[in-house]
Amino acid sequence: METTDIDLVESVRGGNDDAFRILVERHSRSIYRSAYRITANGADADDVVQETFLRAYRALPSFDSRAAFNTWLHRIAINCSLDLIDSRKRREGRIDVSEDLSFLASHDASPDRIAHGTEMRRAIATALDALTGNERTAFVLRHFEGMPLEEIGQILGTRLNATKNTVFRAVRKLRQHLQPFTGSLV
Amino acid sequence: MTHLNQDELVLFYYDESDLGGDRSHLDKCAECQAELTRLARVLDQVRPVDIPEPDEGYEGRVWDRLQWRLRGEKKRQSSFARIAAVAAIVIIAFISGLMWNRRETTPAIQTASTGTQPGNATPVKNTPAQQQQSRDRILLVVVGDHFDDSERMLLEITNLTPKEDTDITVERERAEELLASNRLYRRTALDRGEEQVATLLDELEPVLLEIAHAPDTMSANEVRSIQKRVETKALVFKLRVVRADVKADVRATATPHLNQPNV
Repeated sequence: METTDIDLVESVRGGNDDAFRILVERHSRSIYRSAYRITANGADADDVVQETFLRAYRALPSFDSRAAFNTWLHRIAINCSLDLIDSRKRREGRIDVSEDLSFLASHDASPDRIAHGTEMRRAIATALDALTGNERTAFVLRHFEGMPLEEIGQILGTRLNATKNTVFRAVRKLRQHLQPFTGSLV
Repeated sequence: MTHLNQDELVLFYYDESDLGGDRSHLDKCAECQAELTRLARVLDQVRPVDIPEPDEGYEGRVWDRLQWRLRGEKKRQSSFARIAAVAAIVIIAFISGLMWNRRETTPAIQTASTGTQPGNATPVKNTPAQQQQSRDRILLVVVGDHFDDSERMLLEITNLTPKEDTDITVERERAEELLASNRLYRRTALDRGEEQVATLLDELEPVLLEIAHAPDTMSANEVRSIQKRVETKALVFKLRVVRADVKADVRATATPHLNQPNV
């Protein structure tokens, strides 16, 4: 029978780093996916994975064993992604979305539609780039992950009203950026 | 009739209308339904990213990289104690050296208590050369570890992929700790006449200083610049060579002691 996460956590707390290796191997892929959704960049997602496990290791003594380790870890990962986005924005670096232009999956063969689709993808990427770290994270969690607003608030450490407003702002900004493209769709 | 506002429509789109918005109004208002459709057409275009699946062995690579960082984390926690311990060793070595020199200047060896004559006295203490050798051995062992740690940190730096906002927090913190020890070892190596070791520690210091004082995140150019500096000085290679010499010296200084009954 596979050892549970909680048993492994207890083992790490007892000084067994090998147990932590098992936790890393068990969860690194799903953490990578979460981080990629928010950062939209493979190298950044890798950094988030590293930072997440490092923070988790440091925080293990205060981890409440009644909580799900996976959820706890994902919360750390989301916060790490958020920190990374904020830090990039502070340094005036734009989010590199060159890796990811696949927000739109257009299967229409018409050259006009393809061109439109490509431009649309760029517009969406630019629009997401223009969001603040909190807005982007809240939007990604709500829109892509289907996470309820209340839970997003718990992760971001904001009250429900503030969380709602963050998502509303993100949607307003996206609509504004996409106006030239969506005008033809509406 | 008051129509639903944009934010309430967003809640309907995400099926969270229990947090706001009048469902009965939406059901009977064609204008609001049309507005919700327009909103949905925009948001439906924003589709999930195609996430590239990490290749086989990804977990192993994550652990390999992390393992080093965890070691750094543990070392960081114990670094203060470690530096204090090294400082204590150096101080003890220094004091014992002073005491030995003082004893050497004393004209007669205290043999009366054992009843032996000075001419027949069997020495129960190490010779000055042995004591010096012992102190040197302590230094070499400690410096050998320091070289190991420095090499690992420099390898992490040279293996970084230069990109904007490269996070070097861990490497920077390690460099900070190594810098403190490096200064102490360099002074001690100079005092002990370990020129090769002192020279390498001297070369290592400015690089450690640069990394220790770097920001937590570096631009791609900054990463390339520091990598070039490490590579130009061939520090990793030199560390390996001198470390090998140091290990050989440690073995050499250890061997004669194995034949000494009083060590």
